[in-house]
Amino acid sequence: MTTSTPAIRARGLSKHYGEGNTLVRALKEASFEMYPGEVVALLGPSGSGKSTLLTIMGLINQPDTGWLEIGGEEIMQDGRVVADANLFRRRKLGFVFQRSNLIPFLTAEENVRLVLELDDMPRRDAARRAREMMESLGVADRGSHLPTKLSGGQQQRVAIARALVHRPSLLLADEPTASLDKELGRQVMNLFRTAATQRGAAVLVVTHDHRSLDLVHRIFEIEDGVLDTSAARGASGETRRE
Amino acid sequence: MNLAVRDVRQDLGRFSLTVVGLGLLLTVVLAMTGIYNGIVDDATALPDRLDADLWIVQRDTRGPFAELSRISGDLEERARVVPGVAHARSYVSHTIQRETPQDKPIRFTCLGLSWPDDRGEGLGIVEGRPIAQPHYEFLVDRSLGLGLGEKIVLGRDTYTVVGITEGMMSSGGDSAAFFTLSDAQRIQNDSPNEAIRLDREARFERVRDSEFARDPELVRFSANPAALIPSLGPVPISAVMVNLLPGVDAQSVRERFKAWRDVSVYTVAEQHQLILGGMVEKTRRQIGLFRAILVIISTIVMGLIIYTMTVDKMHSIALLKLLGARTSVILGMILQESLLLGGSAYVIAIVLGDSLFEMFPRRVVIENEHRISLLILVVLISVVSSVFGIRKALAADPNEVLSG
Ligand SMILES: Nc1ncnc2c1ncn2[C@@H]1O[C@H](COP(=O)(O)OP(=O)(O)O)[C@@H](O)[C@H]1O
Ligand SMILES: [Mg+2]
Repeated sequence: MTTSTPAIRARGLSKHYGEGNTLVRALKEASFEMYPGEVVALLGPSGSGKSTLLTIMGLINQPDTGWLEIGGEEIMQDGRVVADANLFRRRKLGFVFQRSNLIPFLTAEENVRLVLELDDMPRRDAARRAREMMESLGVADRGSHLPTKLSGGQQQRVAIARALVHRPSLLLADEPTASLDKELGRQVMNLFRTAATQRGAAVLVVTHDHRSLDLVHRIFEIEDGVLDTSAARGASGETRRE
Repeated sequence: MNLAVRDVRQDLGRFSLTVVGLGLLLTVVLAMTGIYNGIVDDATALPDRLDADLWIVQRDTRGPFAELSRISGDLEERARVVPGVAHARSYVSHTIQRETPQDKPIRFTCLGLSWPDDRGEGLGIVEGRPIAQPHYEFLVDRSLGLGLGEKIVLGRDTYTVVGITEGMMSSGGDSAAFFTLSDAQRIQNDSPNEAIRLDREARFERVRDSEFARDPELVRFSANPAALIPSLGPVPISAVMVNLLPGVDAQSVRERFKAWRDVSVYTVAEQHQLILGGMVEKTRRQIGLFRAILVIISTIVMGLIIYTMTVDKMHSIALLKLLGARTSVILGMILQESLLLGGSAYVIAIVLGDSLFEMFPRRVVIENEHRISLLILVVLISVVSSVFGIRKALAADPNEVLSG
C-alpha cells in the first residue's frame, strides 16, 4: 500500500478559532498521508472540523501549526505557507463545493477555460481542453450558457470540470453531492474516482452520503477536531490501483 | 479572456445607464471648458480684428474694453499728424438692446467707423458690401441673426444692413454692429425731443440768471441746439486706434503719445492682458471652480459605482483567488471596468458636445487639445475611482466562498 510516494503528507495540523470562552479547537494535530490515485472520504458530524481541514489544505485558511507536503513539495512549515500559494492553487489544486460556485458572469465553458487561462495557457488550447473535459462530464452542449441557465446538476458538473481541467494533483471536495439527488451523487463520486484512477490525483471528499462510500478507497473520520485515519477501507474493498 | 468586459456585458442595462449619466456629467465639464474658451475668444475678438497697432484711451483708464474711456473727439486728428502714424481711427462703442419690428428683442454693440477712411473693408465682410454712404447703412455680425437688407429703427432714423461679418463680438459677447462714426454717435446720444427742449430751457435759464445775462445776445444764443454752441466742443469718443507706417518703431511713437498728459497708450497685447486679467479672470476662476466641483462629483460618482460593482462580485473575486488568479488579474479587472466606464462616458461627452454645443447661445470653443486634456482627466478619474473598489477586492477572503 505504500509502494509509491505519498501525494500528501500532513503532520500536526492544528487550528483554533476565537479565545477564552469562545475558544474552539477545530483541528487537533492532524497527521496523515494520501497517495496518488486514491479517493478518501472524510466523514464526521457537523462542526467536527472537516471544512477547516480542507481549507487548510487548500491554503486559504492558515493553521496555528503544522507541516504539509504536496506532490513532494514542501508547502507549509510550522503553519506558514512557504510556497507560492497562487501558483499552487492554479496548478496543483482543484476545489469543489457543496454549491456549484461558478462565476456568474462567465459561460459554462469560460468558467472551465478560466482555470487554464489564469495559468497562461493559450486560448485555443484552453478551449479545446475545456471542451474535452466538459464532454467527459456530459455538459459540452451547455458550454455557451450562463450558470443561471443550467440545472443544479449541470452546474455541479461544470464546477467539477473546472476543478479537474488543469489536472490537479490534489482535489478537495466539500460536500459536493449534498445538493444532488442520489443518482447524480453517485455519478459525481464516480467522476472523482475516474480522476483519481486515470490521472493519479489524490481526492479528499467530505460526504454525508453513506450510499456512495463503496466508491472510495479509504475513509477518514473526524470528531471534535481529532482525525482518525485508521478506519476501515471503502466498502468496495478494492485496492487503489485497479 | 477579458473578465471586465464579461462582467459588464452581463448587466449591460445598468452599465449603459451609468455611462449615459457619467457622459452627461463629462459633457458639462467639456461645456465649461468650451464656454470659457468662447468667452476669451469673444472678449479678444474686437481688439484682434480691428487690427490697430496702438490704442489711445483716456488717461489712467484701462479702456475702452475693460472699462469706460472718454476722450475728446478731436484726438483722432491730433494722432494722425504724429510722425510715423499711417492712420488713426476713432472708436466709439455702446451696447443697445431693442426690439426688431417683429418685437423680437435684439442686443448688440454699436461701433463707429471713421467713414470714409474706414468703410469696414478690414472687418472681413462675408456677405454684402462695405458701408457706401455716410448715413443709414451698417454692417452687422451674423450671430445677431439679421439678414442683408433688413432695416432697424434706432433713435430717429432707420438703418439698413448692407454687410455681414463673422465672429465679431464685443468683450461681453454681444454681436457687433458697425455704423459710420457720426451715425454711431447719433444713436448713442439720441435724446427725446422733450429732453432736448428741457435741456435748452434749463441752459437758457442758467445763463439768464448769471452775470452773462448782461449780454442779451449770449442769453439768446444759449437756447440754441448743443451742437451749435462752439464752447461745448466735439462729441467725445472712447478711444483712437492708431496704425503705424511700415518700418516705424512702435516704441518711439508710443513714447510720443505717452508724453501727452490727457491719454494713455496700449498695444494690442496689453489690451489682451487688460481684458483677460480683468473681467475674464473672474469668469475663468468661476468656471474653473465649477469645473473642479464637477470633476470631484464625477470621481465620487464613479468611485461609488466601481465600489458597488466590486461589492456585487465579491463572491466571484473570492472564487478567482481560490482558483489561484494573480492579484494583477483581479486588480486589472476592476481597473479595466473603471476605464471602460470612463472611456465610454468620454465618447458620449465628445459626441454629444459636438452636436449640442452649436445650439448654445454663447460661443463654445472646443479644440482638439481640450478633447485630449479631457481624456487625460477621464483616465485619471477612472484610476482614482477604482482605488475604492480595488481596496475592497484585496480584502476578499476565498474562505468565505466555502462558508458563504
Ligand atoms: N471562521 C470561524 N470562526 C470561528 N469558529 C469557526 C470558524 N470556522 C469554523 N469554526 C468552528 O470550528 C469548528 C469546525 O468547523 P468546520 O470545520 O466548519 O466543521 P464542519 O465542516 O465539519 O462542519 C466548528 O465548531 C465551527 O463552529
Ligand atoms: Mg463544513
